Amino acid sequence: MLGFGEMAAIKELRGRTYDASVRPGPLALVAEGVQDVLSRRRLVRYLARADIKKKGANTLLGNIWWVLDPLLQMVVYVIFVEIISPRKVPDYPLFILGTILPWKWFTTAVQDSTMSVVSQERLIKQIQFPKIVLPLASMTSAVIDFAFGMIPLLGLMLLFPHRITPYLLLIPFVAVVQYVFTIAFGLVVAAGNVFFRDLANVVRHVLRLWWFLSPGLYSISQLEGAGLFRSHPLLRQLALLNPFAILFDSYRSLIYGSIDRNGVSSPPAMPDWAGLVGLLVVSFFLVGVAIAIFKRLEPNFAKVL
Amino acid sequence: MSAIEARTAAADDARLESAAPPAVRSAAAYAIRTENIGVQYQLRFNKKKTIRQSLAEVLSRQPVQRFWALHHVSVQLVHGESLAVIGPNGAGKSTFLQVLAGIIRPSEGIVDVRGQISGLLTLGAGFDQELTGRENILLAGAFLGLDEDLVSDLLPAIIEYADLGDFIDAPIKVYSSGMRARLGFSIATSVDPDILLLDEVLATGDATFREKSKARVIELVKAAKAVVLVTHDMAWVTEYCNRAILIEKGEVVVEGEPEEVVEVHREHTAAEKERKEAEAVAARLDPKLAPVRR
Repeated sequence: MLGFGEMAAIKELRGRTYDASVRPGPLALVAEGVQDVLSRRRLVRYLARADIKKKGANTLLGNIWWVLDPLLQMVVYVIFVEIISPRKVPDYPLFILGTILPWKWFTTAVQDSTMSVVSQERLIKQIQFPKIVLPLASMTSAVIDFAFGMIPLLGLMLLFPHRITPYLLLIPFVAVVQYVFTIAFGLVVAAGNVFFRDLANVVRHVLRLWWFLSPGLYSISQLEGAGLFRSHPLLRQLALLNPFAILFDSYRSLIYGSIDRNGVSSPPAMPDWAGLVGLLVVSFFLVGVAIAIFKRLEPNFAKVL
Repeated sequence: MSAIEARTAAADDARLESAAPPAVRSAAAYAIRTENIGVQYQLRFNKKKTIRQSLAEVLSRQPVQRFWALHHVSVQLVHGESLAVIGPNGAGKSTFLQVLAGIIRPSEGIVDVRGQISGLLTLGAGFDQELTGRENILLAGAFLGLDEDLVSDLLPAIIEYADLGDFIDAPIKVYSSGMRARLGFSIATSVDPDILLLDEVLATGDATFREKSKARVIELVKAAKAVVLVTHDMAWVTEYCNRAILIEKGEVVVEGEPEEVVEVHREHTAAEKERKEAEAVAARLDPKLAPVRR
């Protein structure tokens, strides 16, 4: 038999017990997910850094695309809207670049996150690690998209110097709210894509529709001016429920200012803080739900992949 | 007595004890304990498919197909033992290892593992092509959950064993497959685990590398406190393992001394081969089963 000393030594070993008959509740799952991320911060950092390095290295012009891409997109929309829109919006390029940039960040983050788990198929089958780090790293590395987007934004602002105000410095606060909301959305699609491989296509189309339904190329007040909501007041409520109604409106307040029903624009001002804080609280709740969903599905990843 | 000495002494004790009947083994000494574990696959959910296919299945009300990849497996392994898992292809051997490693969770039963566990990955799984060899070592360490200090301590030894020269700071995508295998193996064997899980690791690489890696694996097997080995190499089983289980169709058929279990496996394989040959002959004789010729 073992002596007392030896038994104590063996008990020191880190243990892991898994009992299939015990199913953790949603709160336990959330706690576990948060613990996973905290204990693997370094992994998230490495993965995000590798991701950023790859994005720059793979393309001919490298990081130039991060600057060029939103500008080209803006030009297309400007030409398109100038042709079809009856009423002109002053300084329209700035009006839409301020929403194109955060939207590009959101779509990049969500699309990268969607593929993050399935692309590590081989690894997932061979070692045990918290899979939640994969989408989280993808979404974190996508922040660089937005950061580089500030370059064309500042360049364009030089053409509209009367719009430059210290309010620009508040952009990161709005970005934090968007980041939290993105994580909630990205975690769910990353887990879902393991089970339904065509989810990536669905997500792409949903995102495109979402963009046009969000006040990115237009503002809610313009729609009010056009009398759209007069006959359908419910539609207005729906439009305001969209998180990107709040986010776009906030970015626009800081970068461009606002435009009223009659098409008269006013200079940059404070964003709707109450709306942002409300969205932040809701987003944190959604992140909790998303972590619970992700952790519930996670044990099946290795089986399905 | 220091903790390390105590552990080694315990391991030696356990080595001696493993020959004794199971009842004598102390419950506190086990490294791995599985109690009646089963892994069930539901074909509806555990297969990659599209949303359209899933909808079609739900609407057509097909019964959910299930099968047990592993069923009623109870194994206890004390520190100091090395267990061979043998059986035909697709019997559930690798699934068993995946359960022990925590990669797959069992659908029923209890898995209890004591100590730092490490599996030898298929060489180079999870390498990032754009990163350099050095960066990949750091990344792999982070995936394995190793401490940052530990990884930087291990770094020189890993680089030396992989023997890549200046290539260590070049992106992995320019490596030859041999270089990649060396680096993967070097990373995987650099940690000193309490429990070592080996899944057919010796089957890869060229002959010289295989010799080199075999020596390293033997070293690890000797150093580890408990080893679980999946292999088709029966010489290994009898030489390096002191227990063996035979898994067929997800269930443990025999458990015991390596020689005995290997013998049972040989008999079963021979019987299976005979049955298949007989079937082939029957198919040739029976025109209905034979392929249609014009």
